[in-house]
Amino acid sequence: MKKILLSVLLAVPVWGFSQSFQVNLQGQKQTAMGGAGTGVAMDEAAVFFNPGAVSFLKQNGVQGGVNGIILKTSFSQAGSNITEHNQNKLPTPFAAYAVFGSPQNRLRFGLGVYTPFGGAMHWDTNWTGKYTVTSLDLQAVYIQPTLSLKITDNIGIGGGVVYSLGKVDLRRAIPITLNNGESSTAQLKGTSKDFGWNAGIYINTLSGVTIGISHRSKINATVDNGDANFVVPDALKPTFPTKFNAQLPLPATSTIGFGFYPSDKTTIALDVNWVQWHVYKDLAFDYDNNTRIPDTKSPRNYHDAATFRLGIENKVSSIVALRAGVGYALTPVGDGYVTPEVPDANRLLLSAGIGFKPSERFGVDFSFLYENVKSRSGTNIETGLNGTFKTVAFIPGVALSYKF
Amino acid sequence: MNSKYFYKSALALAVLGLAACKPSVNTTVPSKGTADFTRYIAVGNSLTSGFADGGLYLDGQKNCFPGMIAEQMKTVGGGSFTTPFFADNQANGSGYLKLTGFNANGTPQTTKETSNLAYRPGSTTFFTRYSGDINNYGVPGIKLIHSTIAGYGTLNPYYERMLTDATLTTPYLNFVTSKPFTFFSMWLGNNDILGYATSGGAGDTPTDKALFTQVYNLVVSQLVKGGTGGNGAKGVVATIPDVTATAFFRTVTLKSILAAVNASPGGAGVTDLYIKPGTGAARKATAEDLFTLTLLSDRTIGKPDATGPYGLAPTNPIENQYVLDKDEVAVVNDYVASYNATIRSVASAYNLALMDANAMLKEYGAGKEVNGALVSGAFITGNLFSLDGIHLTPMGYAITANGFINAINAKYGSSIPIVDVTKYRGVKFP
Repeated sequence: MKKILLSVLLAVPVWGFSQSFQVNLQGQKQTAMGGAGTGVAMDEAAVFFNPGAVSFLKQNGVQGGVNGIILKTSFSQAGSNITEHNQNKLPTPFAAYAVFGSPQNRLRFGLGVYTPFGGAMHWDTNWTGKYTVTSLDLQAVYIQPTLSLKITDNIGIGGGVVYSLGKVDLRRAIPITLNNGESSTAQLKGTSKDFGWNAGIYINTLSGVTIGISHRSKINATVDNGDANFVVPDALKPTFPTKFNAQLPLPATSTIGFGFYPSDKTTIALDVNWVQWHVYKDLAFDYDNNTRIPDTKSPRNYHDAATFRLGIENKVSSIVALRAGVGYALTPVGDGYVTPEVPDANRLLLSAGIGFKPSERFGVDFSFLYENVKSRSGTNIETGLNGTFKTVAFIPGVALSYKF
Repeated sequence: MNSKYFYKSALALAVLGLAACKPSVNTTVPSKGTADFTRYIAVGNSLTSGFADGGLYLDGQKNCFPGMIAEQMKTVGGGSFTTPFFADNQANGSGYLKLTGFNANGTPQTTKETSNLAYRPGSTTFFTRYSGDINNYGVPGIKLIHSTIAGYGTLNPYYERMLTDATLTTPYLNFVTSKPFTFFSMWLGNNDILGYATSGGAGDTPTDKALFTQVYNLVVSQLVKGGTGGNGAKGVVATIPDVTATAFFRTVTLKSILAAVNASPGGAGVTDLYIKPGTGAARKATAEDLFTLTLLSDRTIGKPDATGPYGLAPTNPIENQYVLDKDEVAVVNDYVASYNATIRSVASAYNLALMDANAMLKEYGAGKEVNGALVSGAFITGNLFSLDGIHLTPMGYAITANGFINAINAKYGSSIPIVDVTKYRGVKFP
């Protein structure tokens, strides 16, 4: 097993997501089903997918899961015969949930800790786009205590407060030549603590179809007094900033989901997400020393975008469940705004998974998600970086759960 | 061997397989089109030689644009390419300017590198001779009209170092065509106006327009033959940039001088500078009069003598050689336009590729984002001009190389891959 782990660690690269820097890996069952799960009361991950469905869970339980994101991005500058590749990193977004309170009661409690936004994109420090970015590590962990109330036998509502812990580490080269002939560099590093919320409603219709609607609020991840580490020529050092402030909007997401149950053993879930990316207008940095460089405002001008997700689960026995899914995410990034830290484009998602339930209480679920981001060519209007990006991602995951 | 081991191994292999699987993107597929790049030679002046920071030295030679082009040509059948490098122990060649710091008012301090120079023992003019193959025939200082002069080698040490006693009197044009070649770049003509401009119209005269046309035709008519023993060559020629738009003329300005004077003790009330124009009496300077980059290192504005404070009194004006006055600017523009008209028409007549260096330097000089790096004509910080304000940085030469590559590709239907400009540096800071 050690060898396998080692090969995983050695082999793997970069980031995870479903749309730009949004990460959609909040439950292994749902991930295996194309990321759908808002319209079904499937498991403890309902704390994330739809707090309204938590009160419909038949059992209490805890679960914890993790994914490894193997991200492969290639870039070729227009006119060049060279292809550059991102470097191997293995971000491991995790999700953990607990649901408690008496299943017979109308009021249930939940707690979720998950990673809805993040990224780990690393390029060679001397790559073609080094003056735009050389690496971005980004992570937002949401902690969400949740209440869920079954207001009738067929309708549940729920909501939770989200406490967001963010961290960012952005690096790039600066086009000022050091005395050794190399480029200057900048590193912007900081943390954020912000609040938001998550709410949902879950309806069990008379026809047997279940419907869920959920909304996760926007959070402005605010970095105050982050560290700006500029490695620049000594002669210029006093003219460069050492601290910065910045805001990164983590967009609101609204979802409508449906559950269909063609048989006792089969569940079909369909979700449509609407992510309000329009809040990401620019990436702005406010520096404490503007002698040399002004505050920067890089246009992003994202637009709202939808993701469509369809998944199926079939319980082939009391122990084994098989899952599969498909999804299609529309990019929020317009032509001319594609950047190397998030070389986004429309993407196809294919997923599969298997769940084992060797006992009444214990369960283990595996998922595997493949994302194919369409090849995208163009010139960034801010940096002039002109070329073609192509990304694929392979995302295995596992979760353990225990019912009580 | 049990099945568990099999599954574990399969999983490990799958993970390794996935990690190895990098997506492919469409890239430029190198092809030579209708041209033959087997032996490429570069004919030109300081810009072709890799001259930078006021000197020719090994690091500049290594970052010359013909060398970059030749490296890319290797993907489409190009052969080896040799620039006549200075030896490692004489790497600093003619010496060059280094940035050592900044004055309190932000103006740069430079010193001249004087160690490991390449001068022959006992000489402060001529260099250790280079022997060996040459593809890059760039000779700093050479004018177009010098290329047919027998004995020019005795006058220009940069040319002389390429020669032997036997070839010392060989005209430049004969020298570069003495071996067969299949492709050439020719960027001559800059010095036919540069000397006039940088001396404020005082130290040189522009090459006569008709003579320029005559010699340009002659040189190109020889180059297209492909050299002695050759079977004809294709090539690319380049226009002449607007020298008045370089950092050499756009860094020290009326405004910047006045600001410095106003900030100095007792200078607060000064509103005018006085210059000695090329013709006529001393007069007040206008924003259309350009000052050379060398003015402030050579002279001190306001320094008093018997005739008054330097530059601040009509009786002690800034000397002619530091000012390209507006009439002289008009002369420069007129000659450059005429030379470029000749270059365009000859390129067209011989069906050669044309690199419009004039347009290129205008575009980048005005400020342009290159892969996230702002390139502009600003002195020192613009990444385009080296410390002499006229010649380019490695990054500037890389941009130039791509200009040539794009012109060649457009003319000959080739796909020479471009150079990654980002890999090349600007001015080195202390």
